[in-house]
Amino acid sequence: MNIGLFLSEGDGEISKVVDVKYLAGEYTGDVSTRVLNNLHSAASHRAIIREIEDSKLEGVVLAGESPLFYKKTRNGELLLSLLYAAGINPNRIAITNIREQVALPHRSTPDEATLKAKVLVDVSLEKVRLSKNVELIEVSPRRAVTVIGTTVAALFAAQRLLERNFQIDFIDREEVRDFKNFKHQSMPTLASIRENPNARFHVSKITDFYGYAGNFRINLENEVKIRAGGVIVAIGDDLKYTNELYPFLRLERDERGFFKALSSDTAVTETVQQGIFLISEQQKLATTIAMADSAAMSLDALLSQNAIRHELFVSQVDEAVCGGCGTCIKTCIFHAAEIDPVKKLSSTNIKRCVGCGNCVSACPTGARDQISGNTKYYLSAIKMLASYKPPSGAKLLYVICEGCGYPSLDYAGITGLEYPTGVMPLSVRCAGRLDTQFILEAFKQGFTGVVICKCKDDHCLNIVGNTDLDRRANLFRAVLSSRGISPDRLRIFGVSDCDGASCVTSAVEFMNYLKTMGRS
Amino acid sequence: MAKIKVATGLLQGCFGCHMALLDLHEHLIPLLIAINILRSPINDVKEVPEVDLGILDGAVCNTENKALAIEFRTKSKKILALGTCACMGGINGLRNLHDLDTVLKRSYVKNESTVEGFIPKSPDIPQLLPNVQALHQVIHVDYSLPGCPPTPAMIMSALLDIINNREIKIPSKNLCHECTRTHEQMYIPRREFVTDSVTSIMELDEINEERCFLEQGILCMGPATREGCEARCVKGNTPCRGCMGPGPDALEQGAKMINSLASILPAGGLMFMEDVVGVGYRYSMPVSIYPHREAK
Repeated sequence: MNIGLFLSEGDGEISKVVDVKYLAGEYTGDVSTRVLNNLHSAASHRAIIREIEDSKLEGVVLAGESPLFYKKTRNGELLLSLLYAAGINPNRIAITNIREQVALPHRSTPDEATLKAKVLVDVSLEKVRLSKNVELIEVSPRRAVTVIGTTVAALFAAQRLLERNFQIDFIDREEVRDFKNFKHQSMPTLASIRENPNARFHVSKITDFYGYAGNFRINLENEVKIRAGGVIVAIGDDLKYTNELYPFLRLERDERGFFKALSSDTAVTETVQQGIFLISEQQKLATTIAMADSAAMSLDALLSQNAIRHELFVSQVDEAVCGGCGTCIKTCIFHAAEIDPVKKLSSTNIKRCVGCGNCVSACPTGARDQISGNTKYYLSAIKMLASYKPPSGAKLLYVICEGCGYPSLDYAGITGLEYPTGVMPLSVRCAGRLDTQFILEAFKQGFTGVVICKCKDDHCLNIVGNTDLDRRANLFRAVLSSRGISPDRLRIFGVSDCDGASCVTSAVEFMNYLKTMGRS
Repeated sequence: MAKIKVATGLLQGCFGCHMALLDLHEHLIPLLIAINILRSPINDVKEVPEVDLGILDGAVCNTENKALAIEFRTKSKKILALGTCACMGGINGLRNLHDLDTVLKRSYVKNESTVEGFIPKSPDIPQLLPNVQALHQVIHVDYSLPGCPPTPAMIMSALLDIINNREIKIPSKNLCHECTRTHEQMYIPRREFVTDSVTSIMELDEINEERCFLEQGILCMGPATREGCEARCVKGNTPCRGCMGPGPDALEQGAKMINSLASILPAGGLMFMEDVVGVGYRYSMPVSIYPHREAK
């Protein structure tokens, strides 16, 4: 497979620490390398696309900013969409974070940083090599939006969408809230919306929620079934309702437990779930209205497309190996694992599977695997990460979940915190994906300690991933002891998604602890 | 067609696999038309002749086992590792959880029935190796047939395949596929554990003969174990102990069983009720990811 490795100098920010040109010189054969000033200028885009065409690339590794940059910023999204358009399968694109997790936190030790970056690039290349193409489906979006909550923001956003002929379903928990005390001449009243034939009100609890942007299915306790292209969540500061909705919507939550948007600066109403928009509680009415408009406009843009493309990053079952024990059925909180009544084998409901990988860890036979981040990749990655030799201190396998661990470790770098290069990051989709086999493999490969940095309770985007990891790891401690590996060499802790300081202190403290145990 | 020359040998094992071969009874007669067993503990020939197929049963635990394995390899065109001990180290492998010194002291010195014990050191006695190994970890193995012991039918089928120069077929699914017990809780997509507690079989007056063991709160290794044994234990109302080892896509049995159990049975109960390590690695310790205790 021809793979293009595009290394960013980060406009000098990365290259002043990591010797990017040296890295480029390390790869030959089926890897074509390019060093670019940054990956996000029009000129860089042209260079990347030309390289894809000239070298007939099938895979791409982007070494520069964090993967979160690609998830949370328009520049990032743009580059990915150009790669897709150039024919690169989304599963054959790997992102090496040599900025937030190498150049920034290791700026005092450039030589070590370069060697570590090399290992991380190796891991990304391996990921591309071991990944098969992900299947894509296209959904024709429904021009219907479900608005959860009947706050001012909810009504404003709904008004806008009703003007554009969307079907609106309002859902509220106990009652349709009364805003008669809130008088303003531009205020849409409940009555005016109530008269609109395209608006329906439901006072009921959500009992089921699945599907994807363009086609969500929402079932209510009163047996109403709703299908919607998009969802707006505008429930104000109702923490109780937030707790109730969290297992269905799977949105990120802030320190206080409220839902939060993708980015507080540049994506104020978008959320981690495509098609679900959030209008959070604001001090000023003007801000609330602006956000309602933003959510309505974004939904209009999204649902006016002919088709929305989804990559099926789901769990797959190898039918030759599955024996139908039912473990995945018990594990999956999304009811995405099903037993085929005839074959008595497990299968995945692609409408429900969120690709968290909890069932892959749980599967006792190994019949289940993920399309992105398969078991083979993780084993290779652990081996490669172990090959880095920090000049001093312990070598930690620092497992970070995409929900909270990863952003926190990024945040450490962004906020100027430094930590030893022996912290080797391994990103997993969710803590629930961390098979205990990987922990044993990490110790076998010579890691001094293993850290699992996951979401706090009630913050896991996959609801039970962090709990299941705890259960597994706690049982597994007996296995570590049996091999003469002190269970203290495995540490698990929960962080919020921007707690860089905790990541760094815990890593440093753990390294010191391992040193006192005579291991470094 | 010339008869295929066969030698069989016992390493560290219990003779069970040889017994299973004899359990072929009258079916052995047609088999003996195709093969000629020149050397075997059964016919009590000690020298290892040059053969087409060497069959070894048992794990490699001591210097004698190792020497015999190597001799078999040099004198056999093909080697069949017969049974779980040869394939995965088997129950012998649990000794890898302790260092050799502790094992010897426990057996010969600090033993409840021993007074003034000592560790025998005669040159005539084979020395234990530091760790138990599966046969393929010592010599190259061409065919592996797990089972404790493999059923006579499995042995017959494997020998026919070998005689006909085919790969031997071992099922790849887990025991649940072969098990006929009924599932109720296991197929209900609810996050609750299937039982409130974990129960040892000795504690039960009665075990439901038709229902999944896990659903009765009894630890059964079936989900993490390869099928092929005809589910003899579960048919005999005894939970699976895992003798067929892990399936082809699992790296090891112990960790996989723990991952799986964490969603099925209450973890607290498991921790206090069961020897998770002993159960999970009972037959496959030497082929697990971390096959022995870390050296001090």
